[in-house]
Amino acid sequence: MENAKGKAITVALAGAPNVGKSTVFNLLTGLSQHVGNWPGKTVEQKTGEFRQGELTMNIVDLPGTYSLTANSAEEQIARDYLVNESPDIVVAVLNAASLERNLYLVAELIELAPRLVIALNMIDVAQQQGIRIDSEALARTLNIPVIPIIARANRGLRELVSQIEHECGTVSGLRDVKHIEYGNEIEGVIDHVAGLLDDGVTAPYPKHWAAMKLLEGDGQINKLVKGRMPAERWPAIESYLRENESAAVTIATLRFEWVGMMMAVAQQKRRIGQVSLTERIDRAATHPILGLLILITVLGAIFWLVFSIGVPIQKFLDVNLIVRAREFIYTLSSMPWWLQGFLADGVLSGAGTVLTFVPILFFFFAAWAFIEDTGYTSRAAFVTDRFMHALGLHGKSCLPLVLGFGCNVPAILGTRIIDSPRARLLTILLTPLVPCTGRMAVVAIIAAAFFGTATVLVSIGIIIFSLLMLVIVGLILNKFVIRGESSALIMEMPLYHVPDLKLIGTVTWQNILAFIKRAGTVILAVSILVWLLSVIPNGNISDSLLADIGKWLEPLGRLMGLNWQMMVALLSSFVAKENTIAALGVILSGGGGDFTQQLKAILSPAAAVAFLVVQVLFIPCVATLSAIRQETGGWRWPAFTLVFQLVLSFSMAILVFQASMLFQSAL
Amino acid sequence: METERTEEYLEAIYKRQLKETPVSTSSLAVDLGVSRPAVTDMLRTLENKGLIDYKTSKGAALTRSGEERALAVIRRHRLWERFLTDVLGMKWDKVHEEACRLEHATSPDIEKGLSGILGDIDTCPHGHSIPDEKGNIKPEKTTLISEFRPLQKVRILAVDNEDPRLLRRIEKLGLRPGAVVTVLKRNKDGLLDIEFQKEKIALDNVTASVLTAEPVIETVLPMEEAEIDLGELPPGESAMIKTCGGGRGSLGRCLSLGFTPGSVIKMVENYRRGPVLVKVHDTEVAIGRQLAEKILVVRKEAS
Repeated sequence: MENAKGKAITVALAGAPNVGKSTVFNLLTGLSQHVGNWPGKTVEQKTGEFRQGELTMNIVDLPGTYSLTANSAEEQIARDYLVNESPDIVVAVLNAASLERNLYLVAELIELAPRLVIALNMIDVAQQQGIRIDSEALARTLNIPVIPIIARANRGLRELVSQIEHECGTVSGLRDVKHIEYGNEIEGVIDHVAGLLDDGVTAPYPKHWAAMKLLEGDGQINKLVKGRMPAERWPAIESYLRENESAAVTIATLRFEWVGMMMAVAQQKRRIGQVSLTERIDRAATHPILGLLILITVLGAIFWLVFSIGVPIQKFLDVNLIVRAREFIYTLSSMPWWLQGFLADGVLSGAGTVLTFVPILFFFFAAWAFIEDTGYTSRAAFVTDRFMHALGLHGKSCLPLVLGFGCNVPAILGTRIIDSPRARLLTILLTPLVPCTGRMAVVAIIAAAFFGTATVLVSIGIIIFSLLMLVIVGLILNKFVIRGESSALIMEMPLYHVPDLKLIGTVTWQNILAFIKRAGTVILAVSILVWLLSVIPNGNISDSLLADIGKWLEPLGRLMGLNWQMMVALLSSFVAKENTIAALGVILSGGGGDFTQQLKAILSPAAAVAFLVVQVLFIPCVATLSAIRQETGGWRWPAFTLVFQLVLSFSMAILVFQASMLFQSAL
Repeated sequence: METERTEEYLEAIYKRQLKETPVSTSSLAVDLGVSRPAVTDMLRTLENKGLIDYKTSKGAALTRSGEERALAVIRRHRLWERFLTDVLGMKWDKVHEEACRLEHATSPDIEKGLSGILGDIDTCPHGHSIPDEKGNIKPEKTTLISEFRPLQKVRILAVDNEDPRLLRRIEKLGLRPGAVVTVLKRNKDGLLDIEFQKEKIALDNVTASVLTAEPVIETVLPMEEAEIDLGELPPGESAMIKTCGGGRGSLGRCLSLGFTPGSVIKMVENYRRGPVLVKVHDTEVAIGRQLAEKILVVRKEAS
């Protein structure tokens, strides 16, 4: 712990979701934070540093959890961290406005945490709700320091830091915390279970604690012990656990009784009949019809914002930066042709074009983070749960799916909020069917070239078609492909509150950064590869390997009215959806006339519609596939998505084209 | 004589342990009214008998067998106290001393006879739990009445002192274990105002620091015995949770979100087939309908 420069301590931040833990973390760590994943898990791990004088605090932000029983990956991570890494101190961040709920976690933390300090956050929100908390009385009764803070306004953090320092400075450290009395009966049952276990089978967890978790039906501990105990002795343990199934309920009840005791000491009763602002808003926001209208309005507002501000900026950047830069490169006659091509067609029109989407994504992510921080997204999940359920999804699935309209990649990462593994997988597989901004841009440009005044109608039609396919595919996957029971929704509705702009900034920045990183790596690499294919062997695209591939695919293309150029344009969308336009630009650059005229020369209106269909349903881009691989932990599901969407997109486009041909000949 | 002293010590250590572990020599000296060297001597003897773990620098803690002995004495003591008040009609401020003598001269047969006469009484007249014959004791809550917030309704659990004068005073006020009072406020002069049977009482510091209490949790009077599932509860109505079903996994989630038996739950939003929105432990929680149908509740009487 001691080093030449001073003292370094490890501080773990624990707390339920919606308690402002991230705000506390951001305030303490500022720019020093590092965001990664917990080893072997798709749960975000945030670490950072806080320095003050001689003291360095290494701060670890544990995932938000309501308890420490492994019902979810988050809970498992939080408690494994406490057991394996034994931080010097745990700071429990509690929401003063829902103290009762939050104290349950404290009841569990005192069984595992070495030293504990409570940061009682949002005391201002609590006051607005008419809740008055006596933090001194709470501290006295718990025998744990309680520091009232308002993280949003950066108040109380200094006191929190000095309390942490003080606690870690005291030699014994361990306070005689008021533990929960489970009573002899339960203790007897716990001891009996512990007695059935061999020494060491529960390592690194304490045996007594593990025995209690077995009784509570903790899946992870159960698996661990089952795997380590001799097989012939397990049935006896299992049957004893089954006989004492009610112990889980008793343990939880006793914990809540303990919580009730703390509440009676610390919180003044609210006057009965007082209806909070949250409750009043919720009467509308969670209403099945009104709530849906509100949701549509909110989403409409987000899209309006994105398309009225983000899209023009994107276009501006594309025209003024990418196109100009390309033209400039081609004017440099001293540069060898292959370098010009590499820079202009490989780097700029591939990865460069993708980067121009940053403003669109910025507005989208920022608007979404804003909505999320107000507490509204839980209501959106609630309202959509009944529809999502038909697809085997969760109310919570609606959130990543909406995010998918911006970009599929963060949407797939966003599925982490879904706690049922099955619903999460389904959501991941359906996300690529949500038309992202890249695809919508292509739809808009192609539709504009063909349908004049009907452009908006056609575009909206295609998007609705795509979502319809999402529903149908969801029904099929839910029914036939993915096995298992769908699990029900259960989630806390946080109180509405004024969003924290700093936090929104951080979240948006992190999302954008991740997007830029992908554009700079995966997308850049594939852009260059496609460019290489388009110039090998002799620099002429119509004799290139890419053209060979396109021509080889032409028989398939003809079924939907597409020639080899269109097939190549489609293939290039694999790099990034918006690449279709860039690729068409390159391929058609040989002919005369502008882009629209050339397009009209090679495409019939029926084929144009077929192209739009195949384009929105086509295999996900590289970045999305790599996100799927990352989140599902293997190649199985990305491969499935690849094949499935290939078949789906081609068969739908063929269907549309052939049907319209039939229709035309009938006329 | 030797046995009696051993039992007195074990009893004292047990009671002290509820407040501090390990128990220091000095606090035992105070509790038993003897000198510290005498306590040290006796603790050594007890350690040799394997009844306590004793470290001179830290203090004493009961071993398993020591605790068993202590609980057996406490059982006899509290049974006698009950017998003396309930059967012989003695005042509760006099029974402690009598029981102190009787507890050491009680054969197992007498103990059985006592508990037979008293039936299923499980606390002494002062409100402390009586251990059962196997040595199991219900844990006691140790929160003092003075620690509660204003306007909290509490039930008095026990008097943590045997001083006859104090007991008489408490009896006069009517604040026997089981009495329900409302904590009003702490006055500037240190008195604690409470309301009991519509009357305001000012408790002095000593009294307020020996009465333990628990919050009175709103109980639900079942209107009809029939259990319904949560999905059937109309909006605006409250109910008490009876059981949580679902597999072990979802049970755990329900429990950690506060769906414990006995909790009061209020239906906020309940439309056909969709998820329901309920209020439990002061927070709104959304539950999918499937899961709501596995939670059984008893409806609260409409008031």
